Amino acid sequence: MKPTSAPSLSLTGWARIRRGLAWIALGLGLITVPALTASPIVSGLVRSSLDPETKGLILIEELGCVSCHSAGGTLASRSKKAPRLSDLGDRVHPAFLLQFLRDPHETQPGTTMPDLLAHLDAGDREPTATALSHFLLSGGSGRFTPGAPDAVAARQGFRLFHGRGCAQCHAPRDEQGRERPGADSAPLGALERKYDLQGLIAFLQHPHTIRPSGRMPDLRLQARDAERIAHFLLQDTRVPGALGYTRYRGPVWEGIGSDEVTAERAGLVRDFNLQSLGDVHHHTAIRYEGRLRINDPGRHTFHLRVNGGLLELDGKRLAQLDPSDRRGVESLEGAADLDAGWHRIRLDYYHTGEEPSFSFEIEGPHLKRQPIPASLLSISDQPIPVFVPFQVESALAARGREAFGALGCANCHDDLKVSPRTAPELAKLNPDRGCLSTNAGAWPRFDLSEQQRNWIAMALPHAGQPSLNDALQLDKTLVTFNCIACHERTGLGGIAADRNALFTGSQPALGDQGRLPPPLTQVGAKLTREGIADVLLHGHRERGYLDASMPQFGEANVGHLVDLLGAVDTLEAAPIPALTDIPAAKSAGRELVGSSGLACIACHEFHGQKSGEVGALDLSHVTGRLRKNWFHLYLRQPARFHPTVIMPAYWPDGRSGLTNLLGGDAGRQIEALWTYLEDGDRARNPTGLARTSHELRVSDTPELCRGQSPAGYRGIAVGYPERIHLAFDSGEMALRRLWKGEFVSIDDGSFQPRGTDTISFPPGIPFHRLASPDAPWPYKGKSNHAFPQDHGYVFRGYHLDAMRRPTLLYRYGDIAVEDYFEDVRAPDGPAYFRRTLRFDAPAGQPAFQFRVAVGKQVRATDGREFIVDRLNLRITSGHRGTVRTGDPGEVLIPLQLPEGRSTLTLEYRW
Amino acid sequence: MVALRHAILVLALSMVCGIPRVLRADEDLGARWGTAEEEAKYYPIVSIPIPSGIPLRPGGLEILPDGRLAVGTRRGDIYFIRGAFDSPPRPEYHLFASGQDEIFSLSWRDGALTATTWSEVTRISDEDGDGVADRYDTLTSSWGYAEYHEFAFASKHDPAGNLWVALGLSSSYESHNLFRGWAVKVTPDGRMIPVCSGLRSPGGVGTNAQGAMFVIESQGPWNGCCSLKHLKEGAFLGHPASYNWYPYAPGLKAPELEPNSDSRMGVEKRRVRELVPPAVKFPYIRMGRSISGFRVDTTGGKFGPFAGQLFLGDYSLSLVLRATLEQVNGVWQGACYPFREGLATGIMNVEFSPKGQLIAGGFTTSRQWPVRGTEPFALQRIDWNGVVPFEVREISIRKDGFVVSFTQPVDPAVAARTNTYQVTTFTHVYHAGYGSPEVDQTTAKIVRAVPAADGLSVRLHLDRVIEDHVHEFDLGGITSPEGKHLLHAKAYYTVNEIPPE
Repeated sequence: MKPTSAPSLSLTGWARIRRGLAWIALGLGLITVPALTASPIVSGLVRSSLDPETKGLILIEELGCVSCHSAGGTLASRSKKAPRLSDLGDRVHPAFLLQFLRDPHETQPGTTMPDLLAHLDAGDREPTATALSHFLLSGGSGRFTPGAPDAVAARQGFRLFHGRGCAQCHAPRDEQGRERPGADSAPLGALERKYDLQGLIAFLQHPHTIRPSGRMPDLRLQARDAERIAHFLLQDTRVPGALGYTRYRGPVWEGIGSDEVTAERAGLVRDFNLQSLGDVHHHTAIRYEGRLRINDPGRHTFHLRVNGGLLELDGKRLAQLDPSDRRGVESLEGAADLDAGWHRIRLDYYHTGEEPSFSFEIEGPHLKRQPIPASLLSISDQPIPVFVPFQVESALAARGREAFGALGCANCHDDLKVSPRTAPELAKLNPDRGCLSTNAGAWPRFDLSEQQRNWIAMALPHAGQPSLNDALQLDKTLVTFNCIACHERTGLGGIAADRNALFTGSQPALGDQGRLPPPLTQVGAKLTREGIADVLLHGHRERGYLDASMPQFGEANVGHLVDLLGAVDTLEAAPIPALTDIPAAKSAGRELVGSSGLACIACHEFHGQKSGEVGALDLSHVTGRLRKNWFHLYLRQPARFHPTVIMPAYWPDGRSGLTNLLGGDAGRQIEALWTYLEDGDRARNPTGLARTSHELRVSDTPELCRGQSPAGYRGIAVGYPERIHLAFDSGEMALRRLWKGEFVSIDDGSFQPRGTDTISFPPGIPFHRLASPDAPWPYKGKSNHAFPQDHGYVFRGYHLDAMRRPTLLYRYGDIAVEDYFEDVRAPDGPAYFRRTLRFDAPAGQPAFQFRVAVGKQVRATDGREFIVDRLNLRITSGHRGTVRTGDPGEVLIPLQLPEGRSTLTLEYRW
Repeated sequence: MVALRHAILVLALSMVCGIPRVLRADEDLGARWGTAEEEAKYYPIVSIPIPSGIPLRPGGLEILPDGRLAVGTRRGDIYFIRGAFDSPPRPEYHLFASGQDEIFSLSWRDGALTATTWSEVTRISDEDGDGVADRYDTLTSSWGYAEYHEFAFASKHDPAGNLWVALGLSSSYESHNLFRGWAVKVTPDGRMIPVCSGLRSPGGVGTNAQGAMFVIESQGPWNGCCSLKHLKEGAFLGHPASYNWYPYAPGLKAPELEPNSDSRMGVEKRRVRELVPPAVKFPYIRMGRSISGFRVDTTGGKFGPFAGQLFLGDYSLSLVLRATLEQVNGVWQGACYPFREGLATGIMNVEFSPKGQLIAGGFTTSRQWPVRGTEPFALQRIDWNGVVPFEVREISIRKDGFVVSFTQPVDPAVAARTNTYQVTTFTHVYHAGYGSPEVDQTTAKIVRAVPAADGLSVRLHLDRVIEDHVHEFDLGGITSPEGKHLLHAKAYYTVNEIPPE
């Protein structure tokens, strides 16, 4: 092997032929998309209207020229890093790797990876590629295993791939996964030859681990969605197996074809034994499909015992029983004369009705009645090769390592600690020679188009220290990361016409705004610095109704945009009047937002609550995201910023239809809106706000809900404006839960706490007279039907104070109890609860204990302060508590009530 | 969790509404009466608009002293609606109270609304007079509530200020928690007094014109069909799963005997002294399949010719039924009649407006639960337009037959012919199994038919009247002197007792 020897072929013959074929095909109408090309594709470049020199600069950065040709300035940090290869063996198919190394442009047309073996003669190419494979695969743990794709997940993945935005940079595909290649699509090729499921899922979830430069963004996919997209992209993976299955759920007694029955998952299974599928839930149907091998020809009988089933052999129906949810299993059988050899078999099995069970047996010549053994089943009548893990030969790997350095692979893939090859400095390059020439030689071959070579030649002299102003710098970044694939920016580019329809959304009433990502034109003058950073760097998503995700490119890669957008985008100053009476302004703003004013809430959500069907952006976040100047300009003339906007202009000619508010003046009313909305989550709810949301949110007054819950069937949840909440069990008169943040989800007759920092209290009543110091604390047993009334408890309801905080009322024997919680915010500290228990007792009440808290770790700092796991409890009245040790431990306050009224106060901090 | 709860509620409703648990969305709800178009000529249905932001799934309905309509909802809100009774309706909604558990019944008395929910009876009032409730005083929560089927429906206040609350079983077959399957009386000072055992899954409580308290019961175990049952104090009403709570009911002694299964109500009521038979049985499907809230017509004729009769909503079939009651040998019994079909949703409750309109409200729960009306929730009104329909007004028993009265005179010649009438009878198996087929069918012989001089009634003499049988009347042959046929030809009289004279 002579890795550094001179080139043996004067290049590009095959590439030219391919290109020519493509053009011919295009001319004949065989291909309707831009031709296959071996030139490296940088998606954003194709669509942008940048000048040629900046395009050249982008190419220099995207092709990693600086990896070989050192340059001063910031070129190295701006340039795209090659994929990390240290665990390549865990994620790439060995056969693909070998082929890709041998001919990257043939294997994956459009790749930016140069061909480093092009100059080798045929006799050297293969062994060099083989040695490189052994070296690159030596790093993995041998985990790579192709798996059976799930056709159901793949169908969902098809929608996700196109809806989430993958297909804006990559080529759209048909439902079979066939790529529609294009000159503006980052090439993927037939991924089933390259990845296994696990590897692709991991990559989709954490792309920047392998490709740190963020060109492949992180779509922040949930695990399940990453799996679905992977199943879609790898749906042509073939692995051997006995039977294919598809699992359905729903009212399966209506049959698999019913609209209400949905396919849940698909895959391979070893036989018809139901246990091979793990837990099968009631109301499930399974469709099995495969081939059955008959060894001895003759009459074969199939015995089924099922609730419902349909058996077909070679497309012929042998047995059928319609499922029913109103009866149990029945026996049936079917028979056929079968030749020796493979026969197509399909069985629909319905797991429904009373005590569902499944038995399926075969009986035939020399085959006694038995379940069909796996050895007679296959998903194909043709052999499917088994994947054999790659065996790394250390001698070959050593040679590969040598070639990896000598060929220059290590210059870009610098994570394997192999010494790079040296090359001339960038400033000294001659654009007519080496990799920029059309000649072949011992240099990387990119197959650049003539246009690309020209762009690079123009940019080369200044590539190290380009003199870009802010605007050009901004445009260059937006093109490099292909932001313009999804966002329109006037003068730079935007969504491709043939991909526009791929954008979808869940709120059709919003028109294009409900499906297209927002334009970036003047976005720096629209969003606050925080607003931009939230979306760009922190994964914040304001438009939940768009199916497309806002992907994350990594702060190191696009963090500079936050300031750059603000510096470049400017708008004229809007006339903003100063409002001096702030409470009056807020009140006017609230009226404008509500149903009796402009009825903004008819379309917009407010603090997560949706009033109409439209579901437009949440108004309570507006002032944090938007610049006030833009808010004023936009409201005066919405169509200026969104030509297709649905929102009407409410102040034509600067006058409002609502003349009773702030004199009907546009500027003052808009400013009042802003002032009101500045209260954010704490803004008082506008009038007419819908109560249809399942999330109950707390604004400036407490909210309360009751029903079946983690606090019992008679639960009461109270949410407080300081964002701390409690759940009380009115069945046992006991505090059951504290939490922070979001309040509850409610449904008819039930609620479920949301939020964080939950403190739970175990079942049981609060007050009790312990018979002995080690007596158990009472709680409701299964047969204690009269509990806790038999302990003297009666719930009496609650009253709301002027702030709408409830005082809970109950009785413990002859003692009347008023139980009041108040949310308090300590100066510069977190909010906490102050609890006041007022007792009204007749004379002579025996002493009792109040169990305040229970926990694994209970500690008293003195008789008034206790730490119970994460809860800090303080008694602020004259009472003292004790710790009753045990597992769990308890904080008890002994109470000897005087006649008449007395008060116990506590503080809960956590 | 929310989804699970939803599924459970579906299941729960299937219990309360007295239909089999496993149902298909497309399951046949039974044939319509086919009379909606004709009914509309006398009783048009008017929808009361609901703004899009208000999840108004009505459970409890009440008329406030100021004439507004109060609606308690599944979400636990109470709205006061002004203008609901205008024509056309111009409703203005005011949220009076919120944050309650699902509300099934509302009743106003002494400046407060009393709401009955799954868990308790709550007296709700506005102490500071700002129009929004601020006091929620629990009158009682002393019944067990720890399972998903344990509904609680209450009456209006009786003259003594008590509410009568009917508590559904824990499931069709069992009573796991205190007083499930009982009716209790809740006094104004919050005492809970157990009154009757033996309920299965009631759906509404109310009085008749004479002030006797009744409960509507669902088809299911020990209940061959839905029925109206008299809440006679100390009575056992048919389903023995709730016998276990007698030790907790001071002053009430458990019946010495349990009913035998696979028997007949007529047999068992003689064995089990406390057993009170259903007053009106509603043949399944033909006369509703999940009957819910009902009200007696106290409009004094503003709602047409049926003053003093009961009007009952049906959840599954989205219709309203009519019933009449009379006391014979100290036992209540009576008949049921078709009234109005074609409402928009599953009817949970009905209420009469001061103008004599019948308000009907309700909701559907999900696509798995079959309801004929298609709206997820609705508030509607049945108005009487002043035109008297040609209807059976009432059937009343006699020693050897019945008196059938009409809203308009019948053709005396037709009415005097015995072959104008078909009267068949049947009963149900009284057993622990779910529902019952109709059994022991007979065909009655009409011996004589004697129209009254004014043509407004006919005295029918039968060869025999059979105790414990529903007598099904087909009056399709009756015509008016102008040859008009009855709007509804069917009626069903439940015979518990036969009068001596």
